[in-house]
Amino acid sequence: MSIRSAALELGGHDIDSTLRDAVFAQLRESFGRMNSSTSAATSTQHAFDKRAADVKAPKSDINALILDYLTMEGYPKAAAKFCKEANLQPQQPDDSIQTRHAIQHAIHSGNIESAISALNELDPEILDKDPELHFSLLQQQMIELIRQCDGGDVTPAVNFAVEKLGPRAATNSDFLLELEKTMSLLIFPHDNLQPDLAALLSSDLRRDTATKVNEAVLQRQNERREAAIRQLVRMRAWGETSARSKKKDLPDSIELGLSADSMEHGEGQDEPMITT
Amino acid sequence: MTNPYQQQHGPSNFIGGDSLASAGLPPLNARRPSYASVVSGSISALTRPTRSSFSHLLNPSPDSEQHAHAGNPYSTAQNTRFDPDMPFARTRASGEENAARYHLSQGLDSGLWPAQHGARFPYFSRAFDLYMGKSPLLPPGSAGPEEGRFFSSASMPNVSSTGFLAPSYLRGTVYLQKLEEKHRARVLAERDGNVSNGTQTGPSTSVSSSRLVSNGSSSHLPAIGTKVSGSTHRGVAYEIVEKPMYPAEEDDAASPLPSRWNKDDKEAALEVLGDGYEVRHTGRASNELEASAVRADHHMSPSCGVYYFEITVLNKKKDNMKTPPIAIGFASKEASISRAPGWEPESWGYHGDDGNSFASQNVGKPYAEQFGAGDTVGCLVNFRLNHALFTKNGRELPIAFRDINFKEVKGKLYPIVSLKKKEDHIMANFGQRPFMFDIDGYMKRQQAMIEEEIRRADTSRLVPGLSETDLIQQLVLQFLQHDGYVETARAFAEELQAEQTALRLDPNQPVRGINIKDDQDAHNRQRIRRAILEGDIDRAMKDTDTYYPTVLRDNEQVYFHLRCRKFIEMVRREAELNIQLEERRSMAAKSHQQRQADDNDHEMVEAEPAQLETDTAPRDQDYHMDMTMAEDAADASGVSKLSQDALAYGMELRAEFNTDPRRETAKQLDEIFSLIAYPNPLKVKEVAHMLDGTGRVAVAEELNSAILMSLGKSSRAALENVYAQTCVLLDTLRKDGGDGAFVTVQSVVDRIPPSRLR
Repeated sequence: MSIRSAALELGGHDIDSTLRDAVFAQLRESFGRMNSSTSAATSTQHAFDKRAADVKAPKSDINALILDYLTMEGYPKAAAKFCKEANLQPQQPDDSIQTRHAIQHAIHSGNIESAISALNELDPEILDKDPELHFSLLQQQMIELIRQCDGGDVTPAVNFAVEKLGPRAATNSDFLLELEKTMSLLIFPHDNLQPDLAALLSSDLRRDTATKVNEAVLQRQNERREAAIRQLVRMRAWGETSARSKKKDLPDSIELGLSADSMEHGEGQDEPMITT
Repeated sequence: MTNPYQQQHGPSNFIGGDSLASAGLPPLNARRPSYASVVSGSISALTRPTRSSFSHLLNPSPDSEQHAHAGNPYSTAQNTRFDPDMPFARTRASGEENAARYHLSQGLDSGLWPAQHGARFPYFSRAFDLYMGKSPLLPPGSAGPEEGRFFSSASMPNVSSTGFLAPSYLRGTVYLQKLEEKHRARVLAERDGNVSNGTQTGPSTSVSSSRLVSNGSSSHLPAIGTKVSGSTHRGVAYEIVEKPMYPAEEDDAASPLPSRWNKDDKEAALEVLGDGYEVRHTGRASNELEASAVRADHHMSPSCGVYYFEITVLNKKKDNMKTPPIAIGFASKEASISRAPGWEPESWGYHGDDGNSFASQNVGKPYAEQFGAGDTVGCLVNFRLNHALFTKNGRELPIAFRDINFKEVKGKLYPIVSLKKKEDHIMANFGQRPFMFDIDGYMKRQQAMIEEEIRRADTSRLVPGLSETDLIQQLVLQFLQHDGYVETARAFAEELQAEQTALRLDPNQPVRGINIKDDQDAHNRQRIRRAILEGDIDRAMKDTDTYYPTVLRDNEQVYFHLRCRKFIEMVRREAELNIQLEERRSMAAKSHQQRQADDNDHEMVEAEPAQLETDTAPRDQDYHMDMTMAEDAADASGVSKLSQDALAYGMELRAEFNTDPRRETAKQLDEIFSLIAYPNPLKVKEVAHMLDGTGRVAVAEELNSAILMSLGKSSRAALENVYAQTCVLLDTLRKDGGDGAFVTVQSVVDRIPPSRLR
């Protein structure tokens, strides 16, 4: 917008066109990043961006997506605040979100035992009905035990494997493979592991396990496993891949606009504040 | 028999609706304030999303009861709702008012569509009323045969009263939605045409001069000359047509569905019968190499993804030829209508006499069994997978034609059928009634395939370096900050940080801090939003002027909407108070009546134990009643004061914007002033939505966007970009029947259980 008005002004003063172009280019450069996200006015905008700008994203849909996400993925405080600020009714009772949050938190912290007992308390059948989920949790617990040994006494981990994992692995070849992988963590030094073994020790696995558990609980409760926003984001990714593979006319890159906002923050009047 | 007074208090109290309905008597409801509210009752049954088509039968609600009285709600617009049994005939209102109400209701009525189907996101959660009127013209949900009883023709449950064809398998697709918008626009245009030509009966101007004062309501207002213009009757809720969800593009994306055989596109020996579904051979001879074909009126649009139609062979079984030379298929206009489908270029067919399939050539391939008298054969074209197949008596036959290059076909493809012998006779189903083949299930399987693809989509490239979980966390956090949900953003950041802390493996590893921009600006915006969401428009405007003095000046439209909303809030307050007042009165009346019943008829009391509670202390009741009456008088005067204020404010508003040349301004003023025409607009479903919280959200967000723009910030958060971009990407993929025809962004949002505004 500012470029446009600047250009108009310059035009009014009848400046030589090359000079004007130079000034224009400089302006464009200095506003470059902002321009990419807010350039509703520039004529170079791709037809796709124009069409996207014309699509209304109803706030009620967006709010519903947000509340759904905060509820489903277990952020009880944020969900409660959002209901208040956006004037919405909670999607689930607060304690239900709390419980799932607590279980996820236990898994994130590596405290699998308490997660399992909380899970059993919430839904005594859930692990019996889902042997894979149960195995994942036990495997995670085994990994946490191995982490705790850290080169020391491995007896607790080995005992756990024999008692809890062994009998299950015997019934399922996938489980057996996973058990073998996990056991090899006892043998190899942890600082130079193959990628698939290193993945077992990564915190991402904790996160994945927690997500699996959360989804299983959700499915038992209301048939929906995951937040709708995940489907939306995947639909967005799939849509672009699919459209590109069909040679549809798209801009080289379709910006989500996440970074534009962070720049805005850098420029902001107030210094960003660290809250926690 | 239940207490008739209970009907006023919502479905939970309602017990014996059908008994009233079946008695065929006007309801014993002296308190029903006006005809308009009766009409609204039946309307609500239409506009409320229904999950099961049977639910209204199993759980009779006041609405469904009124349904029965209001006559056929799906009747055509010309078919007036006047019913001598209607209670309004008994109201004491003047004849002129009756006529006005009648006219009003007629206008509203003709804008009605049957309820939304399936689990659409309910109308009340829409922020921008863009989508408010989206309730499709479809019969409710999984339209079972029961729904048929509401239609003028029970044999065509998928055709709306205004003739909109909505085959079950296409519901929820954007293609059908586009058709619907077009259809609705046409219906509205036709009706407007009627109004201007003065062809509509009834004194069409009476609404404008006299406010409809109800007998039952306490709001006896002086009929100040509030001008409610003639556009009132147009049914505000259906503005949607002027702002279609998807920008108009090339015509084909919304070309109408084939709906009948084309009398002007048939071989001479054929006769198209009745409604255009049946075709008969009149017996004029044709030679061996020829046949008599007829095409449908419209072509199959690839935008629908999958197209399906069926024919049933009506030949008499006793005919010596069990498998007459009948052929079904699809062809462009290039193909001759004196040849069977499949024999000609640009035509494909399945022939009943030999069971062969023909793909644009004289030589057929053995395909499936023969078909003939009594058989129902379907033709399914899958534009996504570029193939076509047939069905017989509900059974799916193998794929007949693979790798059809639809893009190479010069003309558009039409459903086609050919007959050859005298008295050959078929009837087509273009989706106007349920198919024999489970096309809905087929469609669902197509959708499931694509959803599976989407589920496996790789999201890592959207923002390099961010996993799906990280990306979504960023999107949510950025949205919360962008839109000024300050406290939520803070709480979310804290919870994310706690998650990071829990996840780290090394306790000494520092946790990445999450920056929350805690600026005054976000607080101000949140404050203003709060005020609007609470209905306090004055405070919001004052705060806006204080913090962002230029915004209202520069955004005339936003200013106007705020002012309108203030008027609406005033009307709303009055209406709410009115309802409280009525409830209290009817409570009092009920307990009075109950006490009498108690004396006379103990059985009845036993049958309704809930009522007993209210009647445990008859002495107190008298006292209570006196109290109620006293309160009533006070409140009634309060109501009247409120409505006078509203009127005064309305006139002020009118004066201020009188000079505004924009059509929309005048239109919106008309719309909101129409609220005054109802005794209690909260009870009139067509206008009640104007009063509900979604309107507040819309105004609040509009103002928020304006403020953001004035601060030089993007008016949209990244998550909203994701939403919009996905819509456009799917639309791009929808062309030529691509994958996008089978999925919508809306379907994702619809999976979220409805969350009401508080």
